[in-house]
Amino acid sequence: MSYLNPPRLHFAGKFQAAVSTVNNDPTHYNNATFIPAYQERQTAAAPNGWWNPRGDANWRMIGCAITSAVLPDGSYAAPSDPVMQSLIADSDLTVAAKLVDLDPEQQLVSEIWGLEVRIADPAGNTLMRAQYDAAPFMNIWDRWPLGSGDGMAGAQYQSVLNGIEWADVSGSPFLTALKEAASDGVLSIKFNVDGYDTNFNSPTFTLGRVVGTIGPAQASEPRFYTAGRQFMPKGLPSGHFFAPDGQINFCTAVVDTTAAKIMLYLGNSLPVSSMGGAAVDIGGLSLACAVTDANGQTTYVPLGSIEYESAGWYAQTAGVVTLPPDRRLTEQELSSIASNPLVILKSVGGFDTIAIAESAGGVYVRADKYVFRLNPGETATLQLKATAFGQPYNDAEIRLYLDPSQLQGGGPAPPAGTPASGLTFPGKVFTDSTGSAQVNVLAAAPGNPRTYIDGQVYGIRPVLLETLPGASYNFNPWEYVSFLVWDNFQADPPVWYGCLQPVFQQYANLYPLMQRFLDLSSYDSICMNLVPLRIAFGLNESDPNLMPVTRDLSADKRKAILAWLTKVDPSGKPLLGTPPVAETESAAGQAAAKSSSLDAQKGGKFAAVKRRQVNQRSR
Amino acid sequence: MLEQTQKLLLDPKLISEMDGPNGLHCALQRAIELEHATLPTYLYSYYSLGTSNPAIQRLMLSIILEEMLHFALACNILNAIGGSPAIDKPDFIPRFPGKLPGGVESGLTVHLKRFSLDHVFDTFMVIEAPDEPLSFPLLAVADRPVTIADFYTKIAKEIEAAGPSIFTGSPTRQVTGGFPALEIFPVTGVESALRAITLIKEQGEGTTTSPLDEQGQFAHYYRFAEIWHGYRLRPVLDPPPGTPDDQKYRYDGAPIPFDAAGVSPAVSNPNSKLYCATSQARYLNNSFNYTYTSLLKALHLTFNGQPSRLNSAIAVMHSLRELALEMMRIPVDAHHTAGPSFEYQPVNP
Repeated sequence: MSYLNPPRLHFAGKFQAAVSTVNNDPTHYNNATFIPAYQERQTAAAPNGWWNPRGDANWRMIGCAITSAVLPDGSYAAPSDPVMQSLIADSDLTVAAKLVDLDPEQQLVSEIWGLEVRIADPAGNTLMRAQYDAAPFMNIWDRWPLGSGDGMAGAQYQSVLNGIEWADVSGSPFLTALKEAASDGVLSIKFNVDGYDTNFNSPTFTLGRVVGTIGPAQASEPRFYTAGRQFMPKGLPSGHFFAPDGQINFCTAVVDTTAAKIMLYLGNSLPVSSMGGAAVDIGGLSLACAVTDANGQTTYVPLGSIEYESAGWYAQTAGVVTLPPDRRLTEQELSSIASNPLVILKSVGGFDTIAIAESAGGVYVRADKYVFRLNPGETATLQLKATAFGQPYNDAEIRLYLDPSQLQGGGPAPPAGTPASGLTFPGKVFTDSTGSAQVNVLAAAPGNPRTYIDGQVYGIRPVLLETLPGASYNFNPWEYVSFLVWDNFQADPPVWYGCLQPVFQQYANLYPLMQRFLDLSSYDSICMNLVPLRIAFGLNESDPNLMPVTRDLSADKRKAILAWLTKVDPSGKPLLGTPPVAETESAAGQAAAKSSSLDAQKGGKFAAVKRRQVNQRSR
Repeated sequence: MLEQTQKLLLDPKLISEMDGPNGLHCALQRAIELEHATLPTYLYSYYSLGTSNPAIQRLMLSIILEEMLHFALACNILNAIGGSPAIDKPDFIPRFPGKLPGGVESGLTVHLKRFSLDHVFDTFMVIEAPDEPLSFPLLAVADRPVTIADFYTKIAKEIEAAGPSIFTGSPTRQVTGGFPALEIFPVTGVESALRAITLIKEQGEGTTTSPLDEQGQFAHYYRFAEIWHGYRLRPVLDPPPGTPDDQKYRYDGAPIPFDAAGVSPAVSNPNSKLYCATSQARYLNNSFNYTYTSLLKALHLTFNGQPSRLNSAIAVMHSLRELALEMMRIPVDAHHTAGPSFEYQPVNP
């Protein structure tokens, strides 16, 4: 079960991602070459600190109305059901959630941390309160193909809601059903983001469109994707983020054999005609099952048309399409579907073409959690699941290899993904009788390969043996596992000069907003704020108040900072240490080579995607 | 030198009604509302100060933090006697421009205005004016309206008269801790309740013989007067015996420079409708009001049995400043920038 299954609700509104952009250029991490202009907004002549240097990383849900709700039997909740007047909102008790890049050289898996999701009545009273399990986006693509910059991108977030608290929802048949469906204590949430506005002169600066779904989940299922039928397009070389060859982006369907229905998810898969606008008419779309007989003849069993063109379709359905719309699947159809690929057919001028299809054999493998932060000596366990036509794929051979192609190091910035010794993991693994495999990935100190950026980022790609690159299978560039592996940091006892000063200086450089509260580059300013700093650095990772917001501090460094803030000298101040001998060269004079100002002006993700190592090689 | 002669006067019923049933509970709820009510107007001016007025900023922040402490202590007293502070409700927030809540009767109209010395004199020094200001004659009118000090004095008397038996509240509802300068202590009986009331009175007004409170800090009124005069208040060295109390200090210490050009020209008394429905200012104002309402909700829970939420609530308060400063960079007309409207808004529309 997942957000695709009823009972589910759909919502539509705006999100805010007020990210800081000084840290979007990895070279800005270099204290020695940092100049004050990097804290200024970009101009026509200079990228400076890009388009939002004063960003605070806040993530907000704004004006998210519940647009429809589907009851367990597949019927829509009545307009009189209170859920239809309700909202999806974020926390009304804490600060805003935070949107956080894994690293300046891996900005394409930004996670939302500390997000509380609420269903609230029109007066803001909480009907359901739950915590979003921090998760990154996936499947970023050229959703507005004629657009440019971050505004052309679409991406999806999928996670689970934990710690659910319900108010009295007995007045709402839908919410009563949703509460019953959450008997495992979790719900599934999926939302798509697009139309993100990076123009600081625009009224909707830092805002974008969010449309999503909340539905049932089971604790035993993957949290960050749905193990179902996976449609795999081929990417066109002309794409910026990703341009699917048949105009339809990666998508998922599940077959509900009890209801005899297919739930197809197109929320992040159909192109739009304007920034955050309606779907482009790309022709008549329908779902079919491609049945190939013994003679190699393929027939397409029609399973229903996809009515995506109507006004308000996206907001009303969030892209969930239930097929066939007007009947149950027959036993024969169910039987065909179980062992043959699903395809979406596109009809233009009377000609049908396959817009997107499942891979041959319907084979697919995914790691559930796909972003990890590791200290040296720590192990991450990848939960891999292989499926064939949505069913467990047993005894499948999965190959795993380091893949830095999508990381954003190199050029003027330090290289990403090296040395390989930062991660140790098996090169292959076989799935068990449930199609699952666990892979332990052990982190070792990378040895400071990036000098001024702590640790290193890596990508590990799990691939089914038969779909290894080179085979005739379509390939999802985004389906890999990202790691930030920190270096060791020793300080006994930690002092300011030469030890923690550079760490704090870097945060002061990269997050000019902090100057409104304290000057992190100033020992005196820190001394005046010891108590709040001790609290903020000591919080749980999931707390939206955690410092640093970026969650890029190794365990060693956090421990050292907390010890330094706590074990004060007799005058009540943290240990200062010995000032270093003044450096002969003026650091401020030498600005580092920076990323292309053209890319920087178009948006953070746009510039990151251009910096990927795969693009550097092809240049 | 010119001193503020106006003061904030309360409805005498506030005192007479304290003798009735539940009188002390109602009075403390009024006190909580009143302690909170000054914050939007102080904060609005504080937010507008810009970066070139650090000395004024520090003085104002010290006052704001103490107002929050008073708010917390009043809540602790109410909890200690078995009450429940009501914080999360629309009418908890005063309207601007308007009178302060809690039965404030004097003609003072309180505004959300950017910082100016006139605003300090005309509003802040009136709000904090001592009951018996040093250097000024008393208001010797029979049946005069009551001052905030009278009000707290009466609360203290009622508590003393009632004795330990009224302290029926669960000690687990007491909120303690907080950041430095906000050291909230628990109220568990007559002694701690009276200590809290004395602290509230003295930090606001000083004592009857000195501008200092018991912690040796200048009371709020005198801190605002320092800002207004532009100099720190300092004791006269070796005053001869018999020197009147109001001659023992002078505003002739370190200068407190005021850079008027550094103040954000934030609009006065904004409300959300002032800002175009689709504008950066409106979105920010909506987020500000939602966050401000969230702060009230968080404080309500903090002071109704969930004291561990205090730090999280304080963080919400800090995030308000972030939003306000961003608003105060956005022009709304040729002469003004936006500013937050401090409205109860439990949804972010």
